[in-house]
Amino acid sequence: MKTILSFLKPYKPHIIVAYSLMLFELTIELLLPFFLGKMINDGVLHKDVQTIVMWGSIMITLALFSFGAGIANSFYASHTSWGFATDIRGKMFQHIQRFSFANLNKYPTSGLVTRFTNDVRQIQHTIFMALRIMTRAPLLVIGGVIMAFIVNAKLALIFLITVPLLTSFVLWVLKKGTAMFNQVQRYVDRVNRTMQENLAGIRLIKAFLRSNHEEKRFMKANKQLADMTQSTFRFIEASMPILLFVMNLSLVFIIWFGHTQSLAGTTSVGEVVAIVNYALRVSMAISMFTFIILAYSRAKASAERIQQIFAVDVYERDEEDVKNSPTISDGTISFHHVSFTYPSAKQPVLHDVSFTIERGEKLAIIGATGSGKTSLFQLIPRLYDVSSGDIFIDQEPLTSYSLDHLRKNIGYVPQSSLLFTGTITENIAWGKTKATIDEVIQATRNAQIHETIMNLPDQYETKVGQKGVNLSGGQKQRISIARALIRQPKILMLDDSTSALDVATESRLLQAIETYDCTMLIITQKISTAIRADKILLLDDGKVLALDSHEELLQSSNLYQQIVASQFGKENLHAH
Amino acid sequence: MLIKQLKRPFQHKKVPISHVSKQQRKRAKNTLGTLKRIWSYLAKERFKLTLVILMVVVSSALSLLGPYMIGVAIDDFIVTKKSTGLGILLIWLVFIFFMHSLSIFLQNYWMVGIAQQTVYHLRADLFHQFHRLPISYFDKRQDGDLMSRITNDIDNINNTLNQSVIQIFASILTLFGTFGVMMLLSPLLTFVTMTIIPILVISMRWITKRTGPLYKRQQSHLGELNGYVEETVSGQHIIKTFSQEERVTCEFNEKNDKLYQTGFWALTISGFIPKVMNMLNYISFGMIALVGGLLAIKGMGNVTVGVIVIFTEYARQFTRPLNELSNQFNILLSAVAGAERVFAVMDEEREETDEKNAKELPITTGHIVFDQVSFGYDHTPILKNISFEAKPGESVAFIGHTGAGKTTIINLISRFYNYDTGKISLDGYDIKNIKRSSLRSHMAFVLQDSFLFHGTIRENIRYGRLEATDEEVEKAAMKANAHEFIIQLPDGYDTILDQHGSGISQGQKQLLAIARAFIAEPAILILDEATSNIDTVTELKIQEALKELMKGRTSFMIAHRLTTIQEADQIIVLKNGTIIERGNHEQLFSLRGHYYTLYSEQLREIVG
Repeated sequence: MKTILSFLKPYKPHIIVAYSLMLFELTIELLLPFFLGKMINDGVLHKDVQTIVMWGSIMITLALFSFGAGIANSFYASHTSWGFATDIRGKMFQHIQRFSFANLNKYPTSGLVTRFTNDVRQIQHTIFMALRIMTRAPLLVIGGVIMAFIVNAKLALIFLITVPLLTSFVLWVLKKGTAMFNQVQRYVDRVNRTMQENLAGIRLIKAFLRSNHEEKRFMKANKQLADMTQSTFRFIEASMPILLFVMNLSLVFIIWFGHTQSLAGTTSVGEVVAIVNYALRVSMAISMFTFIILAYSRAKASAERIQQIFAVDVYERDEEDVKNSPTISDGTISFHHVSFTYPSAKQPVLHDVSFTIERGEKLAIIGATGSGKTSLFQLIPRLYDVSSGDIFIDQEPLTSYSLDHLRKNIGYVPQSSLLFTGTITENIAWGKTKATIDEVIQATRNAQIHETIMNLPDQYETKVGQKGVNLSGGQKQRISIARALIRQPKILMLDDSTSALDVATESRLLQAIETYDCTMLIITQKISTAIRADKILLLDDGKVLALDSHEELLQSSNLYQQIVASQFGKENLHAH
Repeated sequence: MLIKQLKRPFQHKKVPISHVSKQQRKRAKNTLGTLKRIWSYLAKERFKLTLVILMVVVSSALSLLGPYMIGVAIDDFIVTKKSTGLGILLIWLVFIFFMHSLSIFLQNYWMVGIAQQTVYHLRADLFHQFHRLPISYFDKRQDGDLMSRITNDIDNINNTLNQSVIQIFASILTLFGTFGVMMLLSPLLTFVTMTIIPILVISMRWITKRTGPLYKRQQSHLGELNGYVEETVSGQHIIKTFSQEERVTCEFNEKNDKLYQTGFWALTISGFIPKVMNMLNYISFGMIALVGGLLAIKGMGNVTVGVIVIFTEYARQFTRPLNELSNQFNILLSAVAGAERVFAVMDEEREETDEKNAKELPITTGHIVFDQVSFGYDHTPILKNISFEAKPGESVAFIGHTGAGKTTIINLISRFYNYDTGKISLDGYDIKNIKRSSLRSHMAFVLQDSFLFHGTIRENIRYGRLEATDEEVEKAAMKANAHEFIIQLPDGYDTILDQHGSGISQGQKQLLAIARAFIAEPAILILDEATSNIDTVTELKIQEALKELMKGRTSFMIAHRLTTIQEADQIIVLKNGTIIERGNHEQLFSLRGHYYTLYSEQLREIVG
């Protein structure tokens, strides 16, 4: 909460002004019944036209003043809350950009997006309301009671009973109601999940004739939700008439007691009228409490979630002495007894991995899901750091390079080919600042996607990404390969990024890549791809099972033979 | 410095409000028809609804009576200092207040019940309908769109029924009631109170004319920002490996700033609304006091102190419904639009019912014959004159490029779609004359996306045959090569899978799908790309399991990798909806045609 509130510091003067304006409005609201009482006593009862006109004009003038204050308050409150929200968003984004990969993986994407949207908005909304109505309601209760005591202390005694009673009643309803609402939310989630599953699996459900089974399941969840919602709403909505009744009873009391006192001559008509008015305003304010507390608790939860992000302070950083970072010229890579365990995990994903690739060589990595292929890849651009062992590039330890220099020399094509919203040119030029259109076309030609792009309606200006045209998996893969190629990297890494290409296209693509002066690592499931590499690394459960050329492996590795057989048929393995 | 800072809130750049993309408001097209249908749901609770309306009338009347009685009490007893009758009046007042609260409680109580019943039935009907829709309906649409109907749209209806209905009704009653009573008490003072209405209408129009477009614009900026965050977070590995952190931060700040400018004005201007309402309340308060006071001492227009008190309270009750009505009306409109979308789904044509003379087929040998079958979709022919025969226990594989018609054949066998001409028969019966449920009960499917439900592994396997025992489940898992990995999971067969199947790999999911097919013990087996997207090692296990599963069953399969289908009894090569080659592997290979080209292309890679 503290860090979040520190974002309010630059807005201190605005907050002070906003509060002053709000207090001004409040004072006027509290004065109005007081003046009405005065006017009745001194004007109406004494038939004094001048007094009436005086108090009446004062009231109307004050109303206009309060309006002016209210409008100014809108500007200050809005400026503060939006400025605050924008600052938080900006800082949070910057902060996330500096996250190390290990930190980032702790938060699912949707969770981070929610923080930027709902959570920030929740706090922003609460701050806006805090500068306007939220603090006003409690102050109105206190001020109303004080004014009532000023007008007539004896009559005002009733407030000492009703205000604490109603306030604690509202708080109790709220506490119970919140718990009930949480339960409702769980049932809502269940209904939605069942629905989602049914939509996604409809073909299977129909195929297995499980419609009735599913309907029974859904109806159970539906019934639970309807019942729970019903009792929750009934509970919450019952509180309003009760509150209303207690407040109205106090009016009856004021009249009765006011009458007794007026007989005794200690109370005037105007005072009774004023106190009736205060009672109405105070109870209106109390009924606002529900809304205030709900907003506050939501904002608090949101603030805590945002807080979590700011609390993370493990950034990626360069080692101390990277100022004289060596330059990568060859792109030889060697792993020396590298082991790696993910920060949150217990089991290592890579055990004692050693290999060397020379300049311009190609290494293919194959292995089962979870064998550690992608983990191995992530160590090279230092998305993660090794747990033990060393990685060398051009005979220098990986950590001696600045992150910037290291990554500038790597062309990385991830497993899921994500394109950003924008044109195709923008996406490819993304790989290299100030790339010329010729360079872009050169890269797309090599990635075997130029012709496809030329056939799109807007060619290179076609919009892709979230709101863009639908490209096939293979097309996306080739664009993201072009994005890596345009950097002319010393080290090119393809993480199963040719899986959606047909054999002929893939073959042309790999041939084109051979013209680049780079060391290449390629993760693949296809033997036909692996065969093109100088060496094949067979990874199993984080260990290097074999490392050799295709021909050698065919002779020596049993697992490799099995894999080849499964993809090409046994008889063909030996027939040729 | 401080002055400059304090001036800042008034110096925001003006945001144009006119040039907003014309995003048509989601308005209902057939409001009356939709309302009628909502009514058909509400009508089930007709009795309760009548009670609610009755209670709203009672509570509205009592809410007028209360302040009136207080005014009378002040006039008749406190001003005059009389005492006789005050006790009775106060008891009446307590009774009125009690009845007022009771009527509000009851109307809420019943209305919540009505709303929940209605929403319950709506959800149930919608879900029921989903299961009656033909597969083609789902093939054409995105799950997200359908989801939003059952969540957002129904939620909207729920909220409207819970609150808006009563509020709108009560607001109208209060508005007319207050006006009527005020007129009775003092037409002159009523006129004074009414003078605020033009101000209210004009200022509200001024505000909403600006806030409407501003909020729309804010929404689109916010959407853009969300999209950007989502993209950059999920693409973080690319941003990092390409060292583009600074660039994305810059772009983010640009978008953030745009949102800031619009958001500031939207919030500021909409923040005027309560201020205007307050001002008008205060002004009418002052005017009633001023004019009322003057009238009272002149003895004109029946104005007394009590009347002034009544009017100050009524004036408040009068402005509130005005504001409420304009709010609730918008909510109501969007709920009607939501309801229309829900009903649109319910009106979709259902999967055709079985033919009248369709019969059960309790057992089958799995003998399927396609005789000159053609099928088209939206006037485009997809399959043309397809004929083949799958004898009991035989396996048939389909290969061909995307769009060749492989999946369509499978959709026809299972009658997800109906063929147009020709005949498909099972054991000699036209499948159109067999009940769908009976036909499908003989089939089991293993699809590319091995869909698993939220639940335990055991429940997911048992999905193939609900009455299967635990032993049968484990036996099926063993046959499917899945037992081994299942027992290594911390909770074994009781491991809970969520929809994304966290904790187990794609290949393992596929093994569970095979177990699910095993337990169904079908005569006919349908495998659609069951082995694509799976790593090579797990694939070995899957192939083994599939081979076991196919034993003694008629099976139809589609696969990318030619090795998977090499052992099929028949291989059918499709191109543009026609069969261009057929035979077993050896026959097709020696044919040196299409199949040979495909096959040797893959083979050449291996030999180099």
